[in-house]
Amino acid sequence: MVAKPDNIPIVAMLFLLLFFTWLSIHKAVINDKLIDAGQDVENKKEAKELVYTWPDLVFSEFICTIGVWCLLLAWAIVLKAPLEEPANPVDTPNPSKAPWYFLGLQEMLVYYDPWLAGVVFPTLIIVGLILIPYIDTNPKGNGYYTFKERPFAITTFLFGFLILWNLLIVYGTFLRGPNWNFFGPYEVWDIHKLEVLRNVNLSEYIFREFGLNGGKLPDNPLLRESLGILLTIAYMVGVPILLARKWMKKTYEELGAARFYIMAVLLISMAALPLKMVLRWTINLKYIVAIPEAFFNI
Amino acid sequence: MPAPKFPEAPETVSRRTFVSWIAVGWVGFVSALGLGLTAVGRLFFPNVTFEPPQRFKAGFPTEYDVDKVDEHLKKAYGVWMVRNERGIYALSTVCTHLGCTPNWLEGEQKFKCPCHGSGFYKTGINFEGPAPRPLERFKIGLSEDGQIFVDKNKKYQQEKGEWDDPDSFLELA
Amino acid sequence: MAKAGFLESLRKSQAWKSIFRHGPPNNSRNKVLAVLMNVFLHLHPIRMKKSGIRMSFTWCMGGITFFLFLVETVTGVLLMFYYRPTAEFAYSDIIALREHVPIGIMREVHRWGAHLMVISVWLHMFRVFLTGSYKPPREFNWGIGVVLLTLTLLLSFTGYLLPWDQLAIWAITVGSNMARATPFLGSEGPGASLLNMIMGFDVVHSGSDAFCVAGGPRGGRGDSAPLLRFALYIYPASAALLMAVHLASTYDGGISGPFVRLR
Repeated sequence: MVAKPDNIPIVAMLFLLLFFTWLSIHKAVINDKLIDAGQDVENKKEAKELVYTWPDLVFSEFICTIGVWCLLLAWAIVLKAPLEEPANPVDTPNPSKAPWYFLGLQEMLVYYDPWLAGVVFPTLIIVGLILIPYIDTNPKGNGYYTFKERPFAITTFLFGFLILWNLLIVYGTFLRGPNWNFFGPYEVWDIHKLEVLRNVNLSEYIFREFGLNGGKLPDNPLLRESLGILLTIAYMVGVPILLARKWMKKTYEELGAARFYIMAVLLISMAALPLKMVLRWTINLKYIVAIPEAFFNI
Repeated sequence: MPAPKFPEAPETVSRRTFVSWIAVGWVGFVSALGLGLTAVGRLFFPNVTFEPPQRFKAGFPTEYDVDKVDEHLKKAYGVWMVRNERGIYALSTVCTHLGCTPNWLEGEQKFKCPCHGSGFYKTGINFEGPAPRPLERFKIGLSEDGQIFVDKNKKYQQEKGEWDDPDSFLELA
Repeated sequence: MAKAGFLESLRKSQAWKSIFRHGPPNNSRNKVLAVLMNVFLHLHPIRMKKSGIRMSFTWCMGGITFFLFLVETVTGVLLMFYYRPTAEFAYSDIIALREHVPIGIMREVHRWGAHLMVISVWLHMFRVFLTGSYKPPREFNWGIGVVLLTLTLLLSFTGYLLPWDQLAIWAITVGSNMARATPFLGSEGPGASLLNMIMGFDVVHSGSDAFCVAGGPRGGRGDSAPLLRFALYIYPASAALLMAVHLASTYDGGISGPFVRLR
């Protein structure tokens, strides 16, 4: 299952990522040293030297094209394109996995409800990416590899792209087996593996476990979920304000209110995924706010 | 020799006329665009879609064993028939999370979905994984010839308190 | 000697001159003309920064992505000779393609090329971010790039629906159920009853999205045609259009680095 042809791209991607991350850090370190030595990397003479597109660029494009075409042909000859059983609307394969590039999203659906994991978060990813150039007003590091001149931008992006996106894909591809249970790297995919995953909502924790209201859940959903709603508001509104006033005061002054708060909301939305994952693994928390009557679960 | 007739002074367009024509132009443009887009959008939402019959016979009550989940209608109609001591109910085989078909695991006495790992008790109540609400039940009853009928047009949701409805459960003495 | 003479006279022939309307690109003027007068090459600027086109700098990922898009388009069109996009025929057409066509690697090239394109797009974005190449004056082009990346993933998604196998039907089932959870618009999303009160019906509900997205995978009719049109015509067309804009945008300031007057 793990060694099926459809998984080759993600293995390749893994090695490519390692290589290119190394390469870019390597180049960034060289440039950072030059900058420390007082050189203007951005405006040095070599950086502005012009060459003709023909032949300099066109030829290297040509070589690349031939290389990729050979690779693709070899790949196509060695491995047949997979084809599963004909579509059957009442029999779901077990496990049922999306292609590797969507497995991060599929894993996200385990922790968040579809309206968040399937709609809001993907939208935020796209919108957030588009907004990056308008949020990042740091004029340095334009057109060359560097780390020292933009440590925050690079760290955030590497965390999002390498950990949240690609590591989650690896997790979904190799560590999720039948019934979407967790399986270790060398564990056999046993369909009958018994895993107790009894999930508990925050409101159930408060009223059942701590015995508030005599151990009974209140009938009014707003009252029942009041703590969860308060926590969510505190996280979405309070944390950005705290960031602006306390922890990232300097950034706030540089960016101005609008830019800063957009960035802060995007950042804490990004952080919401690992947070909920940890809560699920440690205390089996299902929903912070659970109002299934209105399809509103967080 | 008659004096040459000079052309009359060109008709001036007043500010008011100009503005109103511009307005007419814009209204026309926007409504044409809106109509076009509506037509494109509506193309994807036909009034009728074709679905198989939703009401079917499910055999006699004696065919079902107490405390067993019967799967023989799963493939054809998408229901599990579950018999308990008091009677029978028809559970939908569609996961309330994202619509995959869970599997009944006899050893663990639970329905388990292969897509995102949601788990349901035999009653249909969700207890693990991401499913936000219990499996749905369908309308069930006895027809005149003594056979059970299931009607998928009418569904009953636990979180709305609909499982108390007598039509959602076939009481057997 | 005779051969050189032949080449010489060929170069001077009317036919040759009508095709290649400038001399060999061995001087500045002809190098400029080589790019300028070729409809494909002229998506490039005429001159570029040497530091910006070095392979160790660009990883060539953007170029590879563009090439793979062309490969997907060509192999996709060729595959359509054998493929009918309906639930009735789709699967058997793929089987037939596999069994009746000698040297049958067209579907393989198409499939693996699509995977490769996803990888190259991601790495291209990775590189552009790490070199800060989204910074002014290229902010808008980065945005177009993000849209193109999304389109690549949508194309891949619709692409693997085409064979109408188990992967396809469950992918579209999960996909259309997610659409139903859209806040306000979907029948099972938060705020659904709000819009329902105003409009009197759910905009995206099980009946409509099943048709809209897949033609009702649960309904038994299982006609996968409607969404497949997106895969076959609409997504590729919009991707091609945006790609032209994306590439032509390098006119102002090259592909990376500080702005330098290029023309």
